[in-house]
Amino acid sequence: MFARLLSGVVLGVEARLIEIQCDVSGGLPTFNMVGLPEKEVSESRERIRSAIKNSKFNFPAGRITANLAPADLKKEGVGFDLPIAIAILKATGQVRDTAERYLLLGELALNGEVRGIRGVLPIALETADQIDGFIVPQANALEAAIASDKPVYPVHTLAEAQQFLNREIEITPTVADRESLAYSEQKTFRHNLAEVRGQLQAKRALEIAAAGGHNLLMIGPPGSGKSLLARCMPDLLPALSFEEAVEVTRIYSTAGLLETGSPLVWRRPYRAPHHTISYAGMVGGGHGIPGPGEISLAHHGVLFLDELPEFDRRVLETLRQPLEDRSILISRAGISVRYPSAFTLVGAMNPCPCGFLGDPIRSCTCSLHDVRRYKKRLSGPFLDRMDLCVEVPRVPADDLFGAHSAEPSDVVHARVSAAREIQWERMRDDAACHSNSQLDGDRLDAYCALEIGAQQLLRRAVDRFGFSARAHARIRRVARTIADLADSQEIRAEHIAEAIQLRTSGDAVSDF
Amino acid sequence: MPIRGDEAEERACLFLKGEGYQIVVRNWRTKLGEVDIIARDRDVLVFVEVKARTGDGFGGPEGAVDDRKQRRLIFAALSFMQKTKCELPARFDVVAIRPGSLLLYQDAFQVPD
Repeated sequence: MFARLLSGVVLGVEARLIEIQCDVSGGLPTFNMVGLPEKEVSESRERIRSAIKNSKFNFPAGRITANLAPADLKKEGVGFDLPIAIAILKATGQVRDTAERYLLLGELALNGEVRGIRGVLPIALETADQIDGFIVPQANALEAAIASDKPVYPVHTLAEAQQFLNREIEITPTVADRESLAYSEQKTFRHNLAEVRGQLQAKRALEIAAAGGHNLLMIGPPGSGKSLLARCMPDLLPALSFEEAVEVTRIYSTAGLLETGSPLVWRRPYRAPHHTISYAGMVGGGHGIPGPGEISLAHHGVLFLDELPEFDRRVLETLRQPLEDRSILISRAGISVRYPSAFTLVGAMNPCPCGFLGDPIRSCTCSLHDVRRYKKRLSGPFLDRMDLCVEVPRVPADDLFGAHSAEPSDVVHARVSAAREIQWERMRDDAACHSNSQLDGDRLDAYCALEIGAQQLLRRAVDRFGFSARAHARIRRVARTIADLADSQEIRAEHIAEAIQLRTSGDAVSDF
Repeated sequence: MPIRGDEAEERACLFLKGEGYQIVVRNWRTKLGEVDIIARDRDVLVFVEVKARTGDGFGGPEGAVDDRKQRRLIFAALSFMQKTKCELPARFDVVAIRPGSLLLYQDAFQVPD
């Protein structure tokens, strides 16, 4: 008595169709699972047995073998409970064969309830063209419906799935209205830029960073507003497009971080890991199939690293490659997984261990040696990747107590969106490149032509400050963004000047 | 008055027959273990372990079918199926007898990995 049906497995943000084969034959009562199941998949046997018995079905005597094909692929997760249980019922004649090719997913509780699982969106996205419909937990139905045009049948219990397959009941397919989903999350600002007093230069840098997707380093004493500024950043960015939202949701679905009731992540991610974060926590990893790290959870959003020099140096250095490639390949024994990681890095640090170096009133208590050692924790190549570097000084009393008239986030958001619009328009035919921070090689020359005056200025600056080739390219990209913010076709000397200034203003502190 | 082993097995047999089981063999012994009753429940071969206890002081009759006992039953069952070239699906049942009560546990345990 043999039965087969379909399920799926997530590998990073990719997914594969899995065929579940089940054979029930004579012999002593055993329940074997083959096809590289990880621990949690093997454990599902006890859940499946209990769920079948408690749903008043007959759990067959004899030898049960479940195979997950292709057999050379590691299987992880609890989503196979429901399909294996149905396969056993099918092999014993308790579920009839259907003409349709359904893909089943779901974790079983001991009483036969079907619980939600991780990774439904990637599976639905990648398998929809190979099947006729999905049978998924109610909790994941909307997620699957967004991803595919095939009917999605939500189930609550094992018995419900069995009755549906036997045509004893009808289930209304879940429909996701993409339009209404897009607007269900109204634009509300989590943090408003107007809350931050003073800091005009830092705000300007934040705006430029948001407009072009540039990395930003803020240096300043404790309590000057660095963290607050960083928290404002995701809301300054334009809303995610549908495609971007799906990309982000894939990662969150894989990580099991989707909030119930919001099947798509529409907000720009904002991740602010603590500086004690491990290597695997930052770039991804973990046992079994490596999971996404903070850099991937910040995809299309902002990764904020507060107290930058306190981070483990090895962790910071691993950021260098994903910063350039905008994705990370995690290779482990027997499996390698690629996660997208197109994030904007915002770093914050104090000028010295005590935090008051360069402060006009409070004096710094650090020795020269202390300051040097503090600075040394950040490598040159890492700092080279920060496009903008600004000082965020202590807020003077006049700003603290004076009349408060800072620009609110929505005004800045509008300017940023307009600048992004210009970039999209300019690079419309370019699939790999959407923001100024991604401009490289030929594109840099094509899009970042400099006026004569600007050229001369940049040449002098390269000589004077000893910029690397990469730094030079980054200045041109930032200048492009500044020009876009000013709605200017050409990059003029003033744009280059501001870009140079924003790159070097922090150096006053960092060079000491 | 304690319940004796063969008395308990007799009661179990009567009960199983009443449940529609056909008794195949009783007290099937091998070097490493024995099965009290081997029966057929429709298309399933059933190996039945009968346990009697006068009280629950030591975990009751059910508690007596521990890992070691299960291993012996599995070994005996395996050698029975090999000897008789039986290809039926099989199952382990436990009959727990207390003074005044008899409980049948169908599919009481499975062969572990």
